[in-house]
Amino acid sequence: MGIGAGSVDVSGVRHTLSDGRVLLDDVSFRIGEGARAALVGENGAGKTTLLRIIAGDLVPEAGAIARTGGLGVMRQFIGSVRDDTTVQQMLVDLSPPAVRAAWDAVQATELALMETDDERSQMAYADALGQWGDVGGYEAEVTWDTVTVAALGVPYDRCKYRELSTLSGGEQKRLALEALLRGPDQVLLLDEPDNYLDVPGKRWLEERLLDTRKTVLFVSHDRELLARVADRVVTVEGGSAWVHGGGFVSYHEARAARHERLAELRRRWDEEHQRLIDLVRTMQQQAANSPDMANRYHAMQTRLAKFEAAGPPPERPPEQKVSMRLRGGRTGVRAVTAEQLELSGLMKPFDLEIFYGDRVGVLGANGAGKSHFLRLLAGQSVAHTGDWRLGARVVPGFFAQTHAHPDWQDRTPVDLLWHGEPGRPGVDRGRAMAALRRYGLAEAGDQPFRTMSGGQQARFQILLLELSGSTLLLLDEPTDNLDVLSAEALEEALGAFDGTVLAVTHDRWFARSFDRFVVFGADGRVYESDEPVFDETRVARAR
Amino acid sequence: MTLTVPSGSPDPSPQLPCPGLGDPAVAQAVDRLRGEFAGRVRPQLVVRVVRESRRDLGGSPVGAMPELVERLARYRLDSHIS
Repeated sequence: MGIGAGSVDVSGVRHTLSDGRVLLDDVSFRIGEGARAALVGENGAGKTTLLRIIAGDLVPEAGAIARTGGLGVMRQFIGSVRDDTTVQQMLVDLSPPAVRAAWDAVQATELALMETDDERSQMAYADALGQWGDVGGYEAEVTWDTVTVAALGVPYDRCKYRELSTLSGGEQKRLALEALLRGPDQVLLLDEPDNYLDVPGKRWLEERLLDTRKTVLFVSHDRELLARVADRVVTVEGGSAWVHGGGFVSYHEARAARHERLAELRRRWDEEHQRLIDLVRTMQQQAANSPDMANRYHAMQTRLAKFEAAGPPPERPPEQKVSMRLRGGRTGVRAVTAEQLELSGLMKPFDLEIFYGDRVGVLGANGAGKSHFLRLLAGQSVAHTGDWRLGARVVPGFFAQTHAHPDWQDRTPVDLLWHGEPGRPGVDRGRAMAALRRYGLAEAGDQPFRTMSGGQQARFQILLLELSGSTLLLLDEPTDNLDVLSAEALEEALGAFDGTVLAVTHDRWFARSFDRFVVFGADGRVYESDEPVFDETRVARAR
Repeated sequence: MTLTVPSGSPDPSPQLPCPGLGDPAVAQAVDRLRGEFAGRVRPQLVVRVVRESRRDLGGSPVGAMPELVERLARYRLDSHIS
């Protein structure tokens, strides 16, 4: 592994959207050598645009990017590659530009040689191979071998023609991360590197990022990853960016203090502005009566003009836009009782009592029946044996993973709110828009559900829970698509919720806010744990 | 490049070792091409063509050299006899 020698300097960057809105203005910060900086901000604030500008994909309208050390970029789509890209092609794409260019030349001359095997083609091929050697192509192939062995457990020669689409999302991510971390580039831009990784995979990522001496700028919504890895936090908000020089643990305090400081500066500016306006008005009247005051009046006018030309300090960014009001209500003491319950073929029978007010994290192996258990409690048809019942006044409200609503895809949020459903009365457009506004969804009110971002879809589902008057919230991976700030708003809302909460989650930070943990083991056993358990392996089933 | 090849009869002792063929890329190509062109090209000519090919390919990666040399020399010998 190379010695950390990379840095990124962003100075005065400005970017305007095609509709004329300024997305980023006067963005300046430096990520010094060996730093591990997190880039955070609400969805749509400009994080990905800023990463693309730093990566050189977009040219900023103003300002400049300066870098030392080669730049390696892992884009967000890695993990969801479904085309015919091969392992070999991805490794080439993640290599430095000189290696990529030499690779392209070898491919082109090889092709030409297959068509015309003459002396000229052969010499061109030999030149291309020479160039491949000169740029370190053969060393890169040795590295790729260690990368594929580390990520997939097979040598490069045995997997180079394998299509990425045959790998899981986690394997694709791991392959790319191994390549970048073992490669020569000293500055790494990682756009959501933890997506598609399970908890052991995320722990591996954290260790690797803590070990590397490279300079890393990464976007993530995983607060545990942010807290463990980031030694500074770059926030994109209010059309600009600022840097908190500490970790994520002290970030909220720093952000609140910054907002207060900005508000104070703005208040002082407004006061001074008003004072100057009042003075100009007073002097204007005095100048009308006294020619001696005319000069002073003009001087004061000039002073006001200069003050206004200098402009106000930046506005305090709007406070958290998402305001969730999950009210709930008092129910019977036993909210959920299960006796010798078994979801057919998924687990061994288990007993469970959940009491009013409990916050229960449902954890465990993929495929062990966690989501089915929530669906059963939500009243859906799930094959089972044994008994279960809800307590008095317990009204379940179910939050499904966002792809689980095929019937909503072409309907708009306003339409869904207007029509209502059993247990949730419809509301008129005015009330619907007011509610959507509280959830930061006003602009998406009239667009089809399928066109909303994952975060918007998630927030909309939480709004439906609010309106349905549920007293038992059944949440299936609710923070999966939420940006950091929306996830915090959800936690806050759940903290104030008067009722019982069961949530399936892999979000370690979110899980900390629960006080009981039910674990669905890979061996079919369902048990309680005092601490969150995240290392149950996937359930192996004959297919 | 134009290859000038003197005419002459086939080598009477084609299996003799080639002096100065320490480069494995040259030695392997000579071995194979002498067999392949036996009776059509004199063995000394094969050696010369292979050596020239090796020289012209100077700077190519060592690992790729045997294949490059043999391929280029074969092309030149083919062009000569056709």
